[in-house]
Amino acid sequence: MRLIITFMKTTLALFTALTLASAALAVEVGKPAPDFTGTDINGKTIKLSDYKGKIVVIESYNSDCPFCHNQYATGATQDLQKELAAKGVVWLMVNSVNPNNFSHRTPEQARQEWTSEKIAATAWIDDSSGAIGHLYDMKTTPHTFVIDKNGVLVYDGAMDNQPDPSHDPRTARNYVREAVDALLAGKPVEVSQTKPYGCGVKYAD
Amino acid sequence: MRRIGTILAGLFCLAALAAHAAHTQVQLILSADPAQPGDTIWVGVDMKMEPDWHTYWKNPGAAGLATKIEWDLPPGVTAGEIQWPLPEKLPPVEVTTYGYNDEVVLLVPLKLDADLPRGPLDLKAKVSWLECKEQCVPGSAEVAATLNVGTETKPSDDAATIELWKSKTPQTNNGLSFSAWWAKPPDGDTRSLFIGSQPKKTDKNLKYDAVDFFPYASDDFEVQAATEILSADSANFRLSKVVKKYSGDWPKEISGVMVMEIGNLRTGFEVKLPVSDQAPVGAQAPGSEAVSAAPTTLPAAIAAAPALPAQPLWRMLLYAFIGGLILNIMPCVLPVIALKILGFVGESRSDPRHVRTLGLVYALGVLVSFLALAAVIIGVKAAGRHAGWGMQFGSPVFVVCLTTLVTLVALNLFGVFEVTLGGRALGTAGGLASKHGAPGAFFNGVLATALATPCTAPFLSIALGFAFAQKAPVIVLMFLAVGTGLAAPYVALSWNPAWLKFLPKPGAWMEKFKIAMGFPMLATAVWLFDLAAGSYGKSVLWLGIFLVIVAFAAWIFGEFVQRGRARKGLALVIVLILLVGGYAFALENQLQWRQPMTAPDATGSLKESADGIDWQRWSPEAVAAAQAAGQPVLVDFTADWCLTCQVNKKTSIEIPAVRARLKSLNAVALLGDYTRFPDNITTELNRFNRAGVPLVLIYPKDPAASPMVLPEILTPGIVLAALDRANR
Repeated sequence: MRLIITFMKTTLALFTALTLASAALAVEVGKPAPDFTGTDINGKTIKLSDYKGKIVVIESYNSDCPFCHNQYATGATQDLQKELAAKGVVWLMVNSVNPNNFSHRTPEQARQEWTSEKIAATAWIDDSSGAIGHLYDMKTTPHTFVIDKNGVLVYDGAMDNQPDPSHDPRTARNYVREAVDALLAGKPVEVSQTKPYGCGVKYAD
Repeated sequence: MRRIGTILAGLFCLAALAAHAAHTQVQLILSADPAQPGDTIWVGVDMKMEPDWHTYWKNPGAAGLATKIEWDLPPGVTAGEIQWPLPEKLPPVEVTTYGYNDEVVLLVPLKLDADLPRGPLDLKAKVSWLECKEQCVPGSAEVAATLNVGTETKPSDDAATIELWKSKTPQTNNGLSFSAWWAKPPDGDTRSLFIGSQPKKTDKNLKYDAVDFFPYASDDFEVQAATEILSADSANFRLSKVVKKYSGDWPKEISGVMVMEIGNLRTGFEVKLPVSDQAPVGAQAPGSEAVSAAPTTLPAAIAAAPALPAQPLWRMLLYAFIGGLILNIMPCVLPVIALKILGFVGESRSDPRHVRTLGLVYALGVLVSFLALAAVIIGVKAAGRHAGWGMQFGSPVFVVCLTTLVTLVALNLFGVFEVTLGGRALGTAGGLASKHGAPGAFFNGVLATALATPCTAPFLSIALGFAFAQKAPVIVLMFLAVGTGLAAPYVALSWNPAWLKFLPKPGAWMEKFKIAMGFPMLATAVWLFDLAAGSYGKSVLWLGIFLVIVAFAAWIFGEFVQRGRARKGLALVIVLILLVGGYAFALENQLQWRQPMTAPDATGSLKESADGIDWQRWSPEAVAAAQAAGQPVLVDFTADWCLTCQVNKKTSIEIPAVRARLKSLNAVALLGDYTRFPDNITTELNRFNRAGVPLVLIYPKDPAASPMVLPEILTPGIVLAALDRANR
């Protein structure tokens, strides 16, 4: 009996500690963005803190999702990636689709997609474990984050104000571009949080 | 030529075929066709999803996209807002969405201008949606329907489907009240919110199996999907939600749908709640004066039945009084009114004091009868059984006595014999018009009450529903209130005879009127006779023969004893011999009236008509057998004397839509006849905490699921929705 109580107490303490830890790590606009390490589709290790001093855009990605598909099929996101890259901005795509899902991409499939879609990001991180997705509480694809040169999260939310998988994204108000431009101009970010739209991230159960 | 015909037919088929895109099939359905200018009809966008695919609600939740409808309508036709049926919460938990599996019909009201020309109208819409399983696919379809504008409005073939889905949309007026308040100061961008039900307006005994709040979408904030139930052991529940703010101030108001589930029945109430900084007064204390009701029944509001929220006693007493008043004009009591009117005409000229006394005596007769009823009900309840309004009609002995009595009253009105209660012989024609004895008035009161009980009236049903669940003193009070209402018009008239001036003067017309009033009384006797037939089967013939003997005896009594000149003694002996002989032979020997037949045990169909529902006799075994076979079961506990049951059957059970649904679900329909209060049904009713019939149950196909208890007053939508759930 005592053993059971001890066990329960330990579990409870552990649970509390975990909850507190995750709360401390939670993404929040205005706070330092949690660091992570991942592997990109070319096998290269990507560590967020390595990009300190640069503006970083993080985008949850799944091209089978009509919302992401629309962003890329129209070329709108690639254009934005190039535009921001020219301004020295790092763009990290995070694909958290679990390996059992139809939409999962092996590194080889991902490299093919990279080429065929003419993706112009800095890296595509394979996050099939969902670790980064959960860390950033990514809800949908696309769900975007903008981190300033000091590693502080300044934007968390939708790519733009057009939750629609069929219209040209270039006609929409792009919150990522707005946030980056504000940072570069030394102005406060006007819209710092929006509700992300899109397909749910296909995490493992 | 034939080829062209074939091609044309093919084209029509194509046009008629629902647009099919990806994993969702969409078609337009109409509630009415034809319709008239000036009508507002319902048009449904019927979306059928392949297994495991879903589409989304107006607020898709953390992901997804609400279905959109773009109308292309002819001039003079205006589409309103989409009415969204209640969605499901869809997994995964970390990205909860609100949507629909299998099928949804989005409903849109369509207003037809009053000056719309007659003829066919093409209604077109482009429907676009996002459908998801493991992946998401955008879909869209052009759908169309033709509406004929004409000189009449007729429900279309899809009217029942539309009705069904309408019943799944949130209700706006519910009689329940909810409030929202911040649980604590903000924690960064998130803040906990409490949503509670107001205890005073709800039923403390009511148990919800689930409560939830589905928010509407907002650009500035999101009420997150996770719901923590803090207390749900009663209708006085509280739940906690987390609000995440994107921009602006903390919301001052949240809107969405309160979702409540009892058994398998789920209902939503549309709410717009101001968010206050403090808990509402009384949010902690459970309601103390709430109405006690059966824990498994739906609250009246949930099922769109007449509201039965907690009411103060005075209001219930008022309802009882008004109900009693209205009872006077219900068909059951009408024949007695004739007697009363005659009495008044006769009394109008006599001593006012005497008239007043008679009015009071009549009231006393009513009240004493109601006290007796209350006593019986309290006694029955104390004995651990459940009582019901009109339950005495379940006793064949009572029915036989009342049939005989009412027959005699009719014969009396026909003038076959006179009533000499209280020793005051009422002469021939003018007799009734002279003085009514006090016992006569008292008897009238008793008769009025006895006849009133199988009828219920507006207000009365609410009051009785309340009364039957109360403790003894409240039952007595409530019954006295009904009695007072029933007697009130006569007491008022007898104290103000001047009000009777509009009545013609006593005269020869009264004799004719009296005879005419005998016929409604005779009709009452026929109705009672029919009730008795249920208990005695074909032998009820002997009751008829007994009534004829009684009538014959009454005639001899009137003609030779009351009005005769000689040999009165012999006549009286003959009357007694007839009565005793008739009783002994017809009732005792042949009818065996004190041992009515028990319900036939045969399990055959109880179908009412060739295309009617294939009712089988109810038994716990029949329910178990059907459940074992994986069939949904509809159980209707009913009684011949239960008028509400008959109305339910006519309007909402024995109707084509329900017949068709039962057939398509391969459901079993079981009929529990409570006309004679069989014990096994009493036990079953008790199990569901019901005082009596009606009780309609629907057992889901899944034997593990508990049966759904439908409200006492049904609509087709309620029945269809419940059947639909039973098939899950």
